[in-house]
Formats: sequence, C-alpha cells, structure tokens
Amino acid sequence: MTSTPPTVRRGTPARFTESGLGWLLLLPSVVVFALFVFWPLGRTLYLSVHGNDLFGAPSVFVGAEHYREMLSAGFGKVLATTGLFTLFSVVPAVLGALFVVLLLEARIRGVRVLRTAFALPFAFSVATASVVFAVIYNPAIGVANGVLGSLGIDRVNWLTDPSIALPAVCAATVWMNFGYNVLVLSAGVAAISPEVVEAARLDGASGWRLASRITVPLLSPQLFFLVVVSTIHALQSFGQIHILTKGGPDQATTTLVYSIYEKAFAFGSSDFGSASAQAVVLLVVMLGCTAVQFGVLERRVHYR
Amino acid sequence: MRQPKLRRAMTAFVALAAAAALTACGGSGSGTDSGKDALEAPGAEVLEKATDKTTIEFWHGMKGANAAAIDKLVADFNAQSGGKVEVKAIYQGNYDETIAKYKASVQQKNTPALVQIYDIGSRFMVDSKQTVPMFKFIDKDKFNAGDIEPNIANYYSIDGKLQSMPFNTSTPLLYLNKEAFVRAGLDPTKPPANLDEIGEMAKKLTVKDAGGKTVQYGFGAAIYGWLLEQLIATDGKEYCDNGNGRKGLATKVQFDQETGVRVAQWWVDLVKGGYATNTGRKTDDAQAAFKAGTVAMHLESTGAMRGYVDAAKGKFTVLTAPYPKASGAATGGPIIGGASLWINGVGHSDKEKRAAWEFVKFAVSPAQQARWHTGTGYVPVNAKALDEQIDKDWVAQYPQFKTAVDQLHALPPSVASAGCLLGVMPQARKASEDGLEAAIVGSKPADQAMKDAAASVQPAIDSYNKSVG
Repeated sequence: MTSTPPTVRRGTPARFTESGLGWLLLLPSVVVFALFVFWPLGRTLYLSVHGNDLFGAPSVFVGAEHYREMLSAGFGKVLATTGLFTLFSVVPAVLGALFVVLLLEARIRGVRVLRTAFALPFAFSVATASVVFAVIYNPAIGVANGVLGSLGIDRVNWLTDPSIALPAVCAATVWMNFGYNVLVLSAGVAAISPEVVEAARLDGASGWRLASRITVPLLSPQLFFLVVVSTIHALQSFGQIHILTKGGPDQATTTLVYSIYEKAFAFGSSDFGSASAQAVVLLVVMLGCTAVQFGVLERRVHYR
Repeated sequence: MRQPKLRRAMTAFVALAAAAALTACGGSGSGTDSGKDALEAPGAEVLEKATDKTTIEFWHGMKGANAAAIDKLVADFNAQSGGKVEVKAIYQGNYDETIAKYKASVQQKNTPALVQIYDIGSRFMVDSKQTVPMFKFIDKDKFNAGDIEPNIANYYSIDGKLQSMPFNTSTPLLYLNKEAFVRAGLDPTKPPANLDEIGEMAKKLTVKDAGGKTVQYGFGAAIYGWLLEQLIATDGKEYCDNGNGRKGLATKVQFDQETGVRVAQWWVDLVKGGYATNTGRKTDDAQAAFKAGTVAMHLESTGAMRGYVDAAKGKFTVLTAPYPKASGAATGGPIIGGASLWINGVGHSDKEKRAAWEFVKFAVSPAQQARWHTGTGYVPVNAKALDEQIDKDWVAQYPQFKTAVDQLHALPPSVASAGCLLGVMPQARKASEDGLEAAIVGSKPADQAMKDAAASVQPAIDSYNKSVG
C-alpha cells in the first residue's frame, strides 16, 4: 500500500468501513430478531386484518372486523378470566414465597433441606406438573377427592365446577411458580450484607420489625423482578390450562392465550385472522401491565 | 484493501441468503398433475407400465394399539406389492391435528397421496377439491363395493356416490355394570332402551353410604358432542339443515331444537338430582369413572370396550346394550362414523394416485378388515370380514362386541343416521358441548344454553359457506 496524504475522498470510505463493520457485527442478532420477532409480529398484524380461506391462508382484507368481533360479551369474559388468573397466580406465589423465605431465615436445623424442598417445584416442567395435578383433581379417581372421602367429606368438583376450576388451576400454577420464586428470594436474602442486619439487631429490631423494615425493603428489587416476570408468564400460560381443563368448564378457564389457541388450531377452525387480532390484544395487555408495573411499583424499589 | 474485501463478503452473504430463500420456495411442482385430470382416477396400467418403485405417504391419526395395527397393515401391503409400491405410514397426531396439518399441506402444495380424515371432516374434504372421489376408482375398476357396509358407506356418500373409503368405524353403545344392576334388583338382560328408562333406572342404581355420600352413580358419560349427535339421529332428526348438508351446503345447526334441548334437560335433571356424575368433557375421565365401578350406566364408543373388559376383570362384568333412543317413540338409529381414507389428486402423479388406490383396496379387503377389527376393536367396514376365522374367534371371546355389529345391521339407512355434513362440523360439535356443559353446570337453562351454543357457531358456518360458495 502506498502512503498518500489523506484526502476528503478517502475519509468517507474509512468512516463507511467502520459503520459497515458495526452493521456486520450486528448482523447475526439483527437477522435472528428480524426472522423470529419482527417478521412474525408484522405477519400477525397482517393476518389480523385479513379473512381466511378454507385452508387458513389469508384471503381478503377485512379491516378491523376481527377487532370488532371482540366487542362481544364472550371476549369480555375471556379478559376477566385472564385478569383473575394472572392476579391469583402471581400474588399468592410471590407473597407465599416471601413468607417461606423469611421463615427460613430462622436459625433452625435442617434449613438447607427445607430450602431445597421449597425450591424443588422449579425442577418440574409445566406439562409434568399439570399431569400430576390432573391426577390429583381427577373427577372420577382423583387423589384429592380420595383424601376428602376418607375424611368423610363429600367430593369437590375441582375441574368440573365453573366456580372452582379457575381457583384450582391457579393453585396448580402457584405451586409450579413457587420454587423459582423461593430460589430468587433466597438469593436476594443471602446478598443482604450481614452488617446491615447486625446494625438493626443492635438497635433492637427483631422478628416482624426486622423483616418489614430491613429485609423486605432490601428484597424489593427481587420482588419487583418476580412480579414483572411472573405476570408476563401468567399472561402466557397455556400448558396447565390445556392439560387440566381445556378452557372449561363453561369457559371458566379460557384465558386470552387459550382463546387464541382455540381460534387458530383447535376444532379444525384455522381462524388465524381472529386469533391474530387477539394476539395483538394480548401484546397490548402485556405491554400495558409491564408499563404500569414499571411506572407504579418500580418507584418503591430500593436498589442497593 | 479492507473495504473491497468487506464488500465482497457482504455480497457473498446476500447472494447466499437469496439462494437459500429461492431453494426454500422452489420445493414443489415438478412432475405433478394439477390440471383438469387431477381429480380423475387412472387405470391399473399406469403402475403396470412403470419400471420404478412408486413411494407414497399415508398420513393417519392413530396411536397406540391402533398405530401398531396400521403399521402391520402397511408392512403387509408393501411386502405383497412386489416392489412396485411402497406406502409410508406417518402419524400426524390426533384427528384434529391431522386435519390441521393437512390444511397446511394444501397451502404448501405438498399433500400426502393418502390421508385418513375423521367423519366430521368429510364436508371440508369434499369442498377442498383436492381429492379423487372414491367412486371414480370404483367405477374405473368395476370394483365390487357391495361388501362395504351400506350404513357406513352412507355417511361418506353424496347423492349415493362414495367420496372416500370408510376405514375405521365405531358406533356408540350403552355400557352396563352387571353387578350393579343385580344389586339394585334390576334385570341386566333388560337394559334401558331410551333416555327416560335410563333416568328411571339411574335412580335405583344410585347408591349412598351411611354418611350420605354417593358411592355409585346411576349414570355417567362425558360431555361429548358426538353422543348428542347420535341421540338426535335416533330421534330421526337432522343435526343440520338442507337434508343434513347432503342436498346442499348446510346453513345452520339444529341441535338447539326440540330433541337437543330435551337431551340437555334430561342430563341436567339427572345431575341435579344426584343420579349422574359430571366428569366434564374429557372422555378419559368418564371412562375412568365407569372402570372404577362408580358409574352403573355409561355411553361410549365401541372403541372403548376392550379397555373396559380388561379393567373390569375380577371386579365387575361389563355388558353392552344398543345405544338408547332419545325417546320412547323414536325409531331411528345412531350415526355410523369413524374415519375414512381420501386419495389426493391435486399435485400427485397418476402412479401415486393409483398406488394409493391399490392400498385402499387392500386395506378394506375382508382378511385385512378382520385383522384390523380384532386388533383395534373398530367395526369392520367390510361385511365379509365377519366370516373370517380370526374374527369369529374374537367375537366368541368378546361377546359384548356383537351388540355393535347387530346394531349396525339393524339400522335403517336414513338421512338422519347418515349424519350431518358440515364444513365446520368440529366447531359445531364443540359448540354443542359448550351448550350441554353450560346447562349441566347450571349457568343457563337448557333451552337457552343450546340456543346460545347454536348461535355461536353461526358466524363460522356463514364464513365457511361464503369461502366455498
């Protein structure tokens, strides 16, 4: 290469090379994102404003028709069910795990065994755990009714009574999420510096006061993380509903995700238009929940 | 130096990506038949002239023992075809999943030569205009289709012309726990013949313990739309309009009319009275209740019989009776459904179509149907299968099975018992279950529940009819 004095003409390509290299380095993630996130998202929006032919392929443009369909009373019930399911699977799982983690702070023997035991549900996949709960709740030969029966209590229609099915599915979900929550909160407690706790003890704080004034505020980043992540998880829940109730009885456990599945894939319906429109609604709901959580809850989070 | 190198690398990358995209798009279309002849039946000569082996795919929805029986059937066919034809059986999930994948394969122009589709997918298969109607092969070969059970062929025929080949057929039965009948002082040889009689006997067959807890229910069945379809047919009523969708496209379902509402009300009364247990929609759960002996009378398909006999061994005796009629005055019979085989024409060569037909003929031959029947518990679609020795032995071992065959032969062919052909039949069935369930759990009165359910499927029917109209 000959050394010529730098000119304006040479400067531009040099800068281009640098930004070009930057793009090249970004390329893998851009390609992956485009392929698996942006393209499906665009496709969902496209499908949500189109009808479907016999085979489920998009046909004519229908505008907002699929969105208008959702103004029916049935969809309101789906949204309400989604809300209840989210609330009653997230709140008990986080608060319950917090309670257990605080109890495990007690200096008793075998605390490690207990901690492992409480974190164990984390090792179960949703499908495995759901099958186990299906056996427990089974209306004909269920373990739960067997136990109740031996105590002389009449059977409970865990999954066939519309007013009990949703709480039953929530309970199963809480159990599934419990282990992960315990794990995260235990790690949070372990990270609290002993000096802080010791100082509080010297000031005479103990028990409830220590927990509410010192431990819980210092755990707030973990609690906030769990609330945000498990809300998103709950909104996306599918496996336990599919295995336990298939959205029934009488639509009592049909959440938004389950409704999307039914529209698109179940009963040969291939109604990808309506399903996509509902998926867009799900995205908006999720964004909304997360935005609210960041707006309201995060203010109270104490980052160390 | 660096810059041109970079540019070259990027150009190469773009070229590669473009090439990959092109290959992905160009997978189909060579040497296939998509013209006017696609839906015609080729003669035997296309295979005789062929010098190479013809390989076809056969998609099915059978698992467990049924899948093993299919694999055996396919292996036997391949062995006797003399290297001319090879069928590859591919399990695609349950019936719903199979038809969903079939729909996707039509979109991708990559259908299998042969596919097994459940009865309620028949209207869709006809409207999809992808398949060679079975009667064309039958006419071409002067094939004797007379041995195919007329009541079964009835379901898959439009204007008397067979559209697909029935393959596996089940009929619904009333199952009884013999010992429960004896304990209640009822004669198990005189089973209830209609819903009212079931209701009466259920009261006597419900047993409570000292604490008032029910230990045995008189009746229990899954909230399964299929059972309702059968009951409506026994009443001689059509499930959907336009002659059960056979005179023209059906425009509405009729399960919200008199018979459907009466069945729902009957079920509600039994559950409310504590004489029937509600185990929900899952057939497995209702089956478990019967197997556990906690239910004395039960409605299910013949397909479940083998499992019942095995589970009850040493505990109680399983008896079978003809499917009950919706009322004392009803004279109809249940619908004979199941699944059938469809040969795809669009996108397939004459050799492939012919190969599929050769396999279909083999599959419904008496010897193979006898094997299939004894291996799976489905009713043989070929009447001659019952004369095969293995079949005779099997029926001797499981006398309960005779009820199904007798019921099939006693059935007067009618429009009602041919069943409803409806493009969105799976959704209609689901809607009817929504209605039954809403009534049974008490969220709505029976008539309102069935009316709302029928109305809920209307948009799907309308949009289907618009898209094929």
